[in-house]
Amino acid sequence: MSATRRALSLHARQLISASLGLIAFLGLTGVALDKAFQNSLINNMQERMARYASVYWNEIELDSEGRIIKEQMDSSPDARFENFRSGLYAQIEGRGTSWQSGSVALFSLPALTPGEAGRPAQFTGPVTLRTGEDTTIKAYQYTATSEFSSSAGPVPLKLRIYEDEQEILGQIVEFRKSLWIYLVVAGLLLVLVQIVILRWSLQPLRVLEHDMQSLQTGKLQRLSNAYPLELKPISGSINALIDSERSNLEQSRNTLADLAHSLKTPLAVLQAHIENDVDNGTFRDDVAQQLMRMNDIVSYQLSRAARSGHALYSAPVDVLPHAESIVLSLEKIYKAKGIYCEFEIDAKSQFSGEPGDLQELLGNFLENAFKWADRRVLLTARPVYEPAAKRPGLYISIEDDGKGIAAEDIGKILQRGVRGDERVQGHGIGMAIVQDIINSYHGELAVDVSPELGGARFTITLPCLT
Amino acid sequence: MRILLVEDEAPLRETLAARLKREGFAVDTASDGEEALFHGKEIPFDIAVVDLGLPKLSGMDVVKGLRDAGQKFPILILTARSRWQDKVEGLKHGADDYLVKPFHVEELLARINALLRRAAGWSKPSLECGPVKLDLAAQKVTINDGPTDLTSYEYKVLEYLMLHAGELVSKADLTEHIYQQDFDRDSNVLEVFVGRLRKKLDPDGSLKPIETVRGRGYRFAIPRNE
Repeated sequence: MSATRRALSLHARQLISASLGLIAFLGLTGVALDKAFQNSLINNMQERMARYASVYWNEIELDSEGRIIKEQMDSSPDARFENFRSGLYAQIEGRGTSWQSGSVALFSLPALTPGEAGRPAQFTGPVTLRTGEDTTIKAYQYTATSEFSSSAGPVPLKLRIYEDEQEILGQIVEFRKSLWIYLVVAGLLLVLVQIVILRWSLQPLRVLEHDMQSLQTGKLQRLSNAYPLELKPISGSINALIDSERSNLEQSRNTLADLAHSLKTPLAVLQAHIENDVDNGTFRDDVAQQLMRMNDIVSYQLSRAARSGHALYSAPVDVLPHAESIVLSLEKIYKAKGIYCEFEIDAKSQFSGEPGDLQELLGNFLENAFKWADRRVLLTARPVYEPAAKRPGLYISIEDDGKGIAAEDIGKILQRGVRGDERVQGHGIGMAIVQDIINSYHGELAVDVSPELGGARFTITLPCLT
Repeated sequence: MRILLVEDEAPLRETLAARLKREGFAVDTASDGEEALFHGKEIPFDIAVVDLGLPKLSGMDVVKGLRDAGQKFPILILTARSRWQDKVEGLKHGADDYLVKPFHVEELLARINALLRRAAGWSKPSLECGPVKLDLAAQKVTINDGPTDLTSYEYKVLEYLMLHAGELVSKADLTEHIYQQDFDRDSNVLEVFVGRLRKKLDPDGSLKPIETVRGRGYRFAIPRNE
């Protein structure tokens, strides 16, 4: 068998387990009822026999010699005592005297061992009773003793009643027949109810399956919100995935369009120059400038295309190790400036997204800070907590002790919706890239004056994931 | 200054090599990683410029291999990828600076000069020893702020001596770091250059900037200002 055997459907699992439970329950119920019915039949029989015995005891009359007067034993407690081999037999024996009911014919009951009077009545069985040359029956027996008095003195008598077990076996068979019919009918009904319940409770899953097919064929844009509580996280996640997939698609489409459009301008400039046939020096400068511009455009759009923004499904990334490796690199490059970079990073600071995006954020902001700083750079990072959020957000600030940024330039730096090639000169492509990253994580970027170092402070706040 | 230039794109390699030679560097080129590592281990370069995407052996492995072999000269990496991950990776493995392609050649020259200065223990962009001031970027030498006219070979000799001011520089070293491989090393051209330099820097014989250590080499004797 292959290792990837298809798993049983939820429906089959539920049905099999419920049916097995039902069978076990109904089976045990049947056995218990059967047992209880048998017990009550046997109890009834014992009570009946005791009643017969008391009737016989009352009927007995002894003659002067202490013998049973058989003529007196004329009214039986049950007609079957008189019927030939009816299955109900009685016998009484004493010293030198005995009596048997009319049903005992053509065979004789085994002799009774004389028992002392006063012993409590005994009910046993079934025992084997010979009722002919080669016929035996199984019967229950009831034995009681009593002492009578006659002129000859006290006469101990023993009475035994036999009843054929066929009497109750027949009833048991009848009972069982109807019991199991009822149980099977009840079981079938329950299974039917079970199937209906299952179909009803698994209905949302079937709807989900159907909706997913509709999504794939494009009949549906996204999943509805009409799912039960247990499926809400799944449908929510699928919707989030769909949204990010769509926005990715849209982004790469936009990126391609932006790339094509923004490259056209420098190309037009170059073309104009060739046609105008200006002198060599300016031409060279212009070509160089346009080449640089085209290069900026390509790198900006490339970085945009590479971005994912799948924040919900990426593993959280620790900020500290990335910050350390970037600062080590920058310290190497800016060795001559002798810049001292301080960290104030909460060990629990984590970035929920692509490690590459975190590196771009830290790298670009820190490089700016190293570039403009006089001596000191301060990097602060800490998690942002919110009740009921699945993952904490992230606060990062990068401060330096350089000249800072003039208030009127801050607006230009933060300009939104401006393509990389249209941005303020001097703040480079890096600013456009980090702003794009922050936007894709629905974060915010602020620029102000560092209260501690006096230079510029860039503050990034990425929201909690809910 | 002897430089190792490793780049597999022939047009870029040749353009850069020509420009570097014009700037007074002794240039050795390599077009793949293995060749680069072989040269880098054999020749005492002052600096190496290594492209990251190389055939046979990646630029990153070349940098690692050179550092593992104990080579301490500064290495500048060139990369077409501008991701921070690549920059951090390269610097971690022993490179000293990076430049993202495409770049202005002037930017590359400035970075090379800065790395050379730093490697020799200079932190400012111009080397100053007493009244002698050598501007690496402009390749100009002044004495007491007065310009001095040097030929390119004279400038190269002075630049190397001043970068290593205070240290003994053997003739072999000087030849090795200043001339292309095909130069005739047995000539006494070097002594002629040093003699002319002395006259130009110190016409009245009061400064005595370059000291001859008999049988061993030269030393720039004026102490560094920084």
